[in-house]
Amino acid sequence: MFPLSSQKKYWMFSDENDLTALREKTNAEFIEKHGADMTPEQREEYFLSDAEERTLLRFYELQLRDFCRRFTPPMPRATVATALHYFKRFYLRNSVMDYHPKEILVTCVYLACKVEEFNVSISQFVANIKGDREKASDIILNNELLLMQQLNYNLTVHNPFRPVEGLMIDIKTRYTSLENPEKLRPHIDEFLERVFLTDSVLLYPPSQVALAATLHAASRAAANLDNYVTDTLFSRDHLAGIIEAVRKIRSMAKGVEPPSREVVRALEKKLDKCRNQENNPDSEIYKQRMQEMLDEEDLRDNEKYAKIIQDQAAHDEKILGVSKVLSPATSYTQGISIFVT
Amino acid sequence: MEEQACPRCKTTKYRNPSLKLMVNVCGHTLCESCVDLLFLKGSGACPECQIPLRRTNFRVQMFEDAMVEKEVDIRKRILRDFNKKEEDFDTLREYNDYIEDIETIIYNLANNIDVMETNRKIEQYKKDNREQIMKNKSKLGRKEYELEELLELERQQDEERKQELIRQELENKKKKIREKEALIDELMFSEGNAKNIVETFASAIQASREEEKYTPVTKATQFSTGIKFGKQTNQGFLPIPKAEEGPSYSYTPIRQQIEGPSPPGWRELQTRGYVSHVRAETQSDRAGGFRANIACLRALQEAMASLYHNPSQRSLEPMSI
Repeated sequence: MFPLSSQKKYWMFSDENDLTALREKTNAEFIEKHGADMTPEQREEYFLSDAEERTLLRFYELQLRDFCRRFTPPMPRATVATALHYFKRFYLRNSVMDYHPKEILVTCVYLACKVEEFNVSISQFVANIKGDREKASDIILNNELLLMQQLNYNLTVHNPFRPVEGLMIDIKTRYTSLENPEKLRPHIDEFLERVFLTDSVLLYPPSQVALAATLHAASRAAANLDNYVTDTLFSRDHLAGIIEAVRKIRSMAKGVEPPSREVVRALEKKLDKCRNQENNPDSEIYKQRMQEMLDEEDLRDNEKYAKIIQDQAAHDEKILGVSKVLSPATSYTQGISIFVT
Repeated sequence: MEEQACPRCKTTKYRNPSLKLMVNVCGHTLCESCVDLLFLKGSGACPECQIPLRRTNFRVQMFEDAMVEKEVDIRKRILRDFNKKEEDFDTLREYNDYIEDIETIIYNLANNIDVMETNRKIEQYKKDNREQIMKNKSKLGRKEYELEELLELERQQDEERKQELIRQELENKKKKIREKEALIDELMFSEGNAKNIVETFASAIQASREEEKYTPVTKATQFSTGIKFGKQTNQGFLPIPKAEEGPSYSYTPIRQQIEGPSPPGWRELQTRGYVSHVRAETQSDRAGGFRANIACLRALQEAMASLYHNPSQRSLEPMSI
């Protein structure tokens, strides 16, 4: 149930300003860390601003959706929604410049496939990706644990699809004056599609999103659900808050528009320059670091082995009272000398 | 000696030798026929003090003085709750005070002194010591059980003795017959003096009788498992260590937080026709334990959950990763 979920506890924010503040903070921290020796003008020139990050993310959210649409075997929409949810959550506390969105994007989808029980193997999965498949699967598997950690392992996502079904059942049962409620469905689906490109899933519970979708669909299909909402579903004292929420969700969904290609291209160019090279699998630093890590592991193993040998020697010495296994004769004389002294 | 008489119908023992006086908790007597008459319905008021009484609580009067009856009655009732033992107290002094308290309570109730106050005291005690009372009651039960075991043992021994007697009698009979037959055989076929033969047989029988005179029956004092009957049980074992018992588990039903309009319950799903709007389960679905109303209820619950959620009312807990 949603009211007790980790989604509500950790991933619901009170309003858009909260989200903006969080993103600004993430952006500022990255710049602070990597641009310590630059003047403010240079920083502005070199790094992406948080607004620019936002634009890029919006673009990649669309990319994610398109990737999922083209996916074979066809992907259920709950999986897509969950993946988008992960994507949004990840970039609240991580900068675009730190982890490139195109890498996180596929990882999100891969993880969502697992969580939503849409079973595809990694080879089946990378078959949907253009380009070097081996490298892609490396990237996904490397990033998967990072992604889960950044999500604080809160992997269950409550999507508005089931609440929509619930509302439909309720309407069919308790509001029989509406003819053919099924005609709302195409509008609802279309609305939900757009909702997932906004931040409303981080601000409103899935049931409210579902209600907004249904009401939106009703207004599109020239059906009247007002009496259902005011008389059947709610008592009057709760009405104001919900109407406000529904209005906000609808206005947010209305404002979705894809960023223009030129802007995105320019931003990507900028990103290629300023991104954190340590997390870029193509960069020298990354390769070097990986190699170091491998070496370190070997080194550590060697050290461990040496330590074990040493320990064993010490242990033998303690038990036998001799530092080395000597020949019987010498140990005998040694024994005598001890005896004599 | 004063003649026993029913206070209501004035019948005396002299006039009706089969007169049976009954007494109830209030300590006033009534004869059996009056009880039958007055308590036809099972309950009624005492004709003397108007206290409501139950017919089932009437007992045959055992002591001449009805007050003693009443006192015994009260004592029984009080001791059921005030059932602490000496080992429940730290010092002898405390135990004595406790006994004194009990006696005071009984005396007060029997003589109608401060009845209200005393009753309140009893209630208070019951409330304070509920657990202890229960525990001691069960302990009492254990004692009774042991007693029963002892009785059972005795009964068993009795049975065994009886069996043994029967067996012996049978054997004796057989033996006699055998001896007689042997004697006749001997008389028929032997060449010796008949008188001598009879004499030797008679002395042999005498001897064998004396010999078997009494072989005591070994009593079964233990079960086949080697555990002794009755009280000796705890001799062979260490006493079970006393474990401190925590408060016992009590089930509280799960309350789901909804934060929205309350969804229908299981019953309403059927009666109000919610289920008819979802796909009915197929036979194979049902084999897996799936019913249409489960999916239906879940959808409805999720549709209602957190509908009243108001983002501006809550403050965000900072999350650390």
